[in-house]
Amino acid sequence: MSKSPDDAPTAGTPTADAPASSEGTGTAGRSRYGSVRLAHGSGGKLSLELIQELFVAEFGNAPLAELTDAAVLENRPGRLTFCTDSHTVTPTFFPGGDIGRLAVAGTVNDLAVMGATPAYLTAAFLLEEGYDMAELERVVRSMKATADEAGVAIVAGDTKVLERGKGDGLFVNTAGVGFLPDDVRMGAGEIRPGDKILVNGTLGDHGIAVMSRREGLDIGVELESDVAPLTDLIARVRDVAPNVRFMRDVTRGGLAAVGNEIVLDRPWGLRIFDVAVPIHDVVEDVSEMLGIDPLLAANEGKVLMVVPPDEADAALGAMKAHPHGREAAIIGDIVKEPAGTPIVETAYGSRRILEMPIEEQLPRIC
Amino acid sequence: MPDADPRTHEAPPRATDAHDAFDPHVYKDADVVAGLQAKIASLADEIGRPVKLMHICGTHEHEMGRFALRDLIPESVEVLAGPGCPVCVCDNEYINLAIQLSQRPDTIVTSFGDMLAVPGSIPLEGERRGDVRMSLLDARAQGGDVRTVYSVFDAATLAKENPDKEVVFFSVGFETTVVAVAAMLKRGAPDNLSIIEANYYTPPATNLLPTLDGFDIEGFILPGHAVTITGLRVYEHLPEQGIACAAGGFEPADVLVSIVALLEQIRDGTPRIDNPYNRLVKYDGNEKAKRELDEVFEIAPIRWRGIAEIPASGYKLRPAYRHYSATDRFAGHLEAVDLAGAEHPKGCRCAEVTLGQIRPDECGVFGKLCTPDAPYGPCMVSHEGTCRAWYLFGMGKEKIHVEVA
Repeated sequence: MSKSPDDAPTAGTPTADAPASSEGTGTAGRSRYGSVRLAHGSGGKLSLELIQELFVAEFGNAPLAELTDAAVLENRPGRLTFCTDSHTVTPTFFPGGDIGRLAVAGTVNDLAVMGATPAYLTAAFLLEEGYDMAELERVVRSMKATADEAGVAIVAGDTKVLERGKGDGLFVNTAGVGFLPDDVRMGAGEIRPGDKILVNGTLGDHGIAVMSRREGLDIGVELESDVAPLTDLIARVRDVAPNVRFMRDVTRGGLAAVGNEIVLDRPWGLRIFDVAVPIHDVVEDVSEMLGIDPLLAANEGKVLMVVPPDEADAALGAMKAHPHGREAAIIGDIVKEPAGTPIVETAYGSRRILEMPIEEQLPRIC
Repeated sequence: MPDADPRTHEAPPRATDAHDAFDPHVYKDADVVAGLQAKIASLADEIGRPVKLMHICGTHEHEMGRFALRDLIPESVEVLAGPGCPVCVCDNEYINLAIQLSQRPDTIVTSFGDMLAVPGSIPLEGERRGDVRMSLLDARAQGGDVRTVYSVFDAATLAKENPDKEVVFFSVGFETTVVAVAAMLKRGAPDNLSIIEANYYTPPATNLLPTLDGFDIEGFILPGHAVTITGLRVYEHLPEQGIACAAGGFEPADVLVSIVALLEQIRDGTPRIDNPYNRLVKYDGNEKAKRELDEVFEIAPIRWRGIAEIPASGYKLRPAYRHYSATDRFAGHLEAVDLAGAEHPKGCRCAEVTLGQIRPDECGVFGKLCTPDAPYGPCMVSHEGTCRAWYLFGMGKEKIHVEVA
């Protein structure tokens, strides 16, 4: 791990030791307004106040505190890796997380699964006029906590306010850059028949937790979303399994979407063993009740890894030793035939295609 | 509880024999399934000729696909999907009505998610894919207020919350869904709620099947959910015509044990109605549900999309409840839609698939012009549709062969 300069102890937060100035008006992290006004997005006084009192105060880093038009950042070795993701979720706060944690973890994970070390994020907020200021503050604090956990700094941002009725409360976009070491060779092209497929824990938790809360389902227990940044877990696995062939974060569309994406037009296929896939009992029960498939349900803290067979046990051990990987499992393998198709082998030895998700999952009629 | 009626027969081995009947996981247990698989193989050997069976429930087809149950059955035993998808048989008349109502001001149209995606017969203007007709989702995209609900009770809540609007519940479904509508209306529903009565009663459709040309089904897996309400007595006409019957549950062991029951009847030449799903199904069904259903609805003829108008196969609101009928409330005020055109788009063979006359992969557009992301016919739209299940789960004539490395 220490071989890479990207993994220095202060990874991703080169400016963390330079906290933001708190010269702005008001109390740091608190606006004097109870709700978001159109003027907060106007570029005028209220905009500046919001940026200084909330975003600069909470995100706390020097490039942001400069309030320049663009953040000027330190370069680092490796190839620049760059991605963006927009987030909308109902409800904004759900068991185990909120839109802020989701927005940071989502972008961080997109970088991390490429083998890159995430470093800097931007955050853009589309707020609906009248949005509760205290909620926005909670979201921002959650973003900061998640960024710290992932070792990244939020160095630039933007705020727009939409007239009441023209937005759905709050949308958050994050873009991120990371640095991909020159010697990392990963991608679907590296995958070979015989490779093992791993996931770092139970699938479907996020999708079912959010759906249960949204629909007001009383499922008897508090099921939490798995939303988490996976930077550290991935680094630890790669320490012991340096030849990991491929990684992909398992998000919307679940395992089924990833399974279909990675085999498309490839000269090999993917086989999942139904019984090996870790799924919480409550996720299984709620899925049965609603007639949906947990393999298609969303996750926000799961990574699928394709690992050469001789490194699979080590990779599994490293996952299980990590807080975000306690229920990790080897769930399948790469096969020669059927090529280009992901399949599921049931507990009974029968086989079916792992279906490609088509649209949002909806409960069946009967 | 064993059923009291002597005509029911519990097909051994029952999945519950060695286990706690209330542990649902036993019905997925690999050893139980392996035992039933072996039993089916030996019965197929004893019968010694090809046998065709049919289930008539979309959920059965979905589970057949999800657990690849056809892999576990010898080739000589073919299990076909019959008319078991309510959304697939829902006539254009109701879909068109729902679409038109969604375009009225101050009107909210509600239905189950599956129903929203099924096209009726109103052409979708400006569509590039060919002969595509409008669904409720298209109506929503054009500004209609269309919402997904999980039951009629959600629709009633919405009506109470929106006293200034008309809330229409597009009540598509078989016995299982209509019974909830009856229960709700009987207890008093808001005046601004109305119902599109697209409710289908299954037994007369199964009655029709043996009259079709080339009918060669020897046994029916009866739909476990629907017979929980209606009971099994209403299917007695089937064994009278020499057709084996068994109530089928939905877990892998449930499906296989009902196949065991059918094969035993066929081997012995003793068609009757077995009830291996007796942990939920009673021979006379759910008396209270049937009573409430009968108070609110009466049996009437209804059109099954692409098939025919089948006598006594639908549920219509009785006179005392007709003020809740969306047809009565609105139909006179809407522009007439031409229903004379083809019921299904050109090339779509949903009707034959629904009747089990062809397999989905025998339809010329299956998997080519018609896929779940760009469906032509209702059987590819609905999660209970046979074509969709076949496409997504890769069901077909050939089993999936794996070569490891």
